[in-house]
Amino acid sequence: MSLRIPILSFLLIALALPSVAQRTLHGTISTTQGEALWGATVKVKEHPTLGAVSDRHGHYTITLPDTSAYTLEVSMMGMASQARSTTEAERGKLDFKLKEERRTLETVVVTATRTPKLLKDVPIVTRVIAEQEIKDLDLTGIQDLLQTELPGIEFTYSMNQQVSLNMQGFGGNSVLFLVDGERLAGETLDNIDYSRLGLEDAGRVEIVKGAASSLYGSNAVGGVVNIISRHDDAPWSLNLNTRYGSHRDLRYGANLGLHHKWLSSQTNVQATSCDPIKMPNSGDFSTIYGNRTLNAKQRFVLTPVEQLRLTLRGGYFFRERQSSQPSYDRYRDFAGGAKADYTIDSVNDLSLAYAFDQYDKSDYAVGSGLDVRNYSNVQHTLRGIFNHTFLHNGTLTAGGDFMRDYLMSYQFAATNRAYTQYTADAFAQWDFSPQRWLNIVVAARYDYYSEATASHFSPKVNLMFKLPKSWSIRASYANGFRAPTLKEMHMNFDMANIFMIYGNPDLKPEVSHNFNATFAYDQPTYSLTAMPFFNRVSQRITTLWNQARGGMVYENMTPTSISGIDLSASVRWECGLGARLSAVYTHESLSEGGLRTSSTRPLTATARLDYTHHSRSWRYNIGISGRALSAVTVDEYTKLTDPSQTEEQRYPAYTLWKLNASLRYFRGITCTLTIDNIFNYRPSYYYSNSPATTGTTIALGGSIDIDQLFR
Amino acid sequence: MKTTCLFLVPALAVLTSCNGLFGGIYDEFDAAEKPAASSCFIARDADGKGGTLQVDVRPYTTWTFLDLHALQADTANTADSLASADPPFAWDIALHRWDVKTHGGSALSSNYGSVEEAVSAGTLPAEAFVADVDSAVVVDMSTMMEGYLGYSQSMVNPVLSQWIDIDTREMPPIYTLSGRVYIVQLTDGTRAALQFTNYMDDASRKGFATIRYRYPLP
Repeated sequence: MSLRIPILSFLLIALALPSVAQRTLHGTISTTQGEALWGATVKVKEHPTLGAVSDRHGHYTITLPDTSAYTLEVSMMGMASQARSTTEAERGKLDFKLKEERRTLETVVVTATRTPKLLKDVPIVTRVIAEQEIKDLDLTGIQDLLQTELPGIEFTYSMNQQVSLNMQGFGGNSVLFLVDGERLAGETLDNIDYSRLGLEDAGRVEIVKGAASSLYGSNAVGGVVNIISRHDDAPWSLNLNTRYGSHRDLRYGANLGLHHKWLSSQTNVQATSCDPIKMPNSGDFSTIYGNRTLNAKQRFVLTPVEQLRLTLRGGYFFRERQSSQPSYDRYRDFAGGAKADYTIDSVNDLSLAYAFDQYDKSDYAVGSGLDVRNYSNVQHTLRGIFNHTFLHNGTLTAGGDFMRDYLMSYQFAATNRAYTQYTADAFAQWDFSPQRWLNIVVAARYDYYSEATASHFSPKVNLMFKLPKSWSIRASYANGFRAPTLKEMHMNFDMANIFMIYGNPDLKPEVSHNFNATFAYDQPTYSLTAMPFFNRVSQRITTLWNQARGGMVYENMTPTSISGIDLSASVRWECGLGARLSAVYTHESLSEGGLRTSSTRPLTATARLDYTHHSRSWRYNIGISGRALSAVTVDEYTKLTDPSQTEEQRYPAYTLWKLNASLRYFRGITCTLTIDNIFNYRPSYYYSNSPATTGTTIALGGSIDIDQLFR
Repeated sequence: MKTTCLFLVPALAVLTSCNGLFGGIYDEFDAAEKPAASSCFIARDADGKGGTLQVDVRPYTTWTFLDLHALQADTANTADSLASADPPFAWDIALHRWDVKTHGGSALSSNYGSVEEAVSAGTLPAEAFVADVDSAVVVDMSTMMEGYLGYSQSMVNPVLSQWIDIDTREMPPIYTLSGRVYIVQLTDGTRAALQFTNYMDDASRKGFATIRYRYPLP
């Protein structure tokens, strides 16, 4: 008896302890405009299994295991996440006011320095297009997104309706496109297959203009576009979406995310199709080929221990272009990869990656059903990157890549249809701040190409001066290069029984010197940026007529320079109204003989005005976007064999405007309306660089986040 | 762990596939660079009175001559001019690129849907037969970049040569088959029905004229 009472008392106390120690917090989650947010997720950073969801009045209640200090993280699609410490709670109440997820100065970017860095601190201007902007615009591919958001970018048709990029004077082979930092295999007329770059799983897109070769190697002379995949920690998520537009422009998509303890999975499938489009006026092309695509991706992320993160991914892409009735062009890609990110300790981390990418082209004969491959580019890449953060100041990044590049092509001689090249590189970067107001990034990279027997050393330096009152000045010099490709070295192609195109194994790499400065005023509401730039590119690779060989031959050309200024201004008020105006002036030097051979439009501008409003259970966004491109006059050769004979060709200016409206209702149901080319612009003649529009078109979209309905 | 293994296996497979994966999903087409003209008759009907022809018309300097009587074919090359090309045997029709000529015969374009329909019709269409005319064919494209082409005088049948329309106003050109069934009157009074069904081979190489034919017509 004497023992029973103390034991019973002990048990009662022990049972009661948790309830005594537990602590309940509550509060309201709303927009900065004060509208309650329904369906926002509240998580405890230190206890990932603890969470709550706000109700229709924006109220949440969460029970914490004890009275220790915790961090509550609140997130909701379309809104920037917010974290607050429980020590900030007053009488058990902790409110959150979320901002619209747009470009904010606190956005973390990775492209400019290959390490995570806040946008406001990055010494190279990085344009970020956030997930919500992508969703509001309801765009399917990277082409539409870049043209809508950025001036100085023009996607046009080259021969046989192959898509060709011009980014402030640089072509498709001088702008590096990455997906989560990985290159893409394959090209057609010097451009990658942009339709591979769907936006169904894009978390954000980062664009860095200007040479970035010291970090990324060849092809980054003009800039880098990096699509960063979305990462979701929710236990499960399922999104189904569709879009239907004029000319039976169809899109279907499904995204499934699963997360359990140390394993998460992300599956994305997207299919598109479009009927052939007959142009209303005559031109260089009369019908845009019909097409269909399928893009499927799978990604697993494993975190067996806190310091280690493993990513395994695979993907399949298919595109069919109905270029003529008896024969279709088919394009396929098989991608895979594995990556390990290991945090060694608080100041050292290591990343090892392997990437596989195979891009095939084939001709599908409709009559016989034969699908014959005539092109295959297979790239295997191994990469290692090590970061060390110095205790007092600065980060050192060092790494290297090894790539095997195999190319089989119908454009090579029948006697040798395939070539292989090995490339190896090493790079290092030191990012430090000797003063609070000064950030310096210096980097260098050495590349070696086996088949081209070429090597190149690319240095760069970036400076950022932080001035009072949100002003900053950035200045940078970068050396860039582009190694001759296997195609440019070994081509042996009979151009429709008309003439031959020959490669040149003696080509030297293109080399560029890029200077730019940026004057910026950046604060949450207003932003102003002016970026003058100057690029000098020598040994540019192009084809020239060779009388002795009776064909075109790849040669290095005399130097050229590209200069200009990039201006941008934006505003976003708390009331939800936002506007942005950007313009780029580009000047390319005349080629030898004083000819204007560049078709880069001197002046281009984009503008957007939009309004977003949140209420308790719905959110709407309405916006108008426009792009204007000036006319350009080009001296075009009338005889390829005689460069002295040219004629003047003027390509007219044009302006296109687009209206977007999106409405999200009851957490996860979203409807979108897009009216493109609202002023019904139709070129009187369709040049290759005219917009491929038939006039005003309409598209309707629908998306449902099924998981949101159950939360 | 199972999931990890499931992905490590394909990852290892990838590592060992230096020159790519899934080659088996494509068809192999072992096309000769320049198939012999003698292999033009690629299929024959069971009754021996028709079949399918496939002619490599890619070269500019070659006529391919077809003998519908003996079912033989051959080419003739000329260094300078096609006009001097000597037919290697008693031929009936000949093809050069998209040009077609007869050996002193004539042709008409019918409304029949197929060569079999031409056989079963039993009567001739009302249209008149058109004989070959003196014309010029392109034999040298090497000077195209200098703004002119090399031509050679030759007889050409204007009706048969309409089997394909090539719209060169845009690049690449738009190729459109007429789909017509042509009736050819040969010099010996016999007649053949021809229908051009493709301008590409099974591997989609342009410059291969595929012809369904019936000969002789009743």
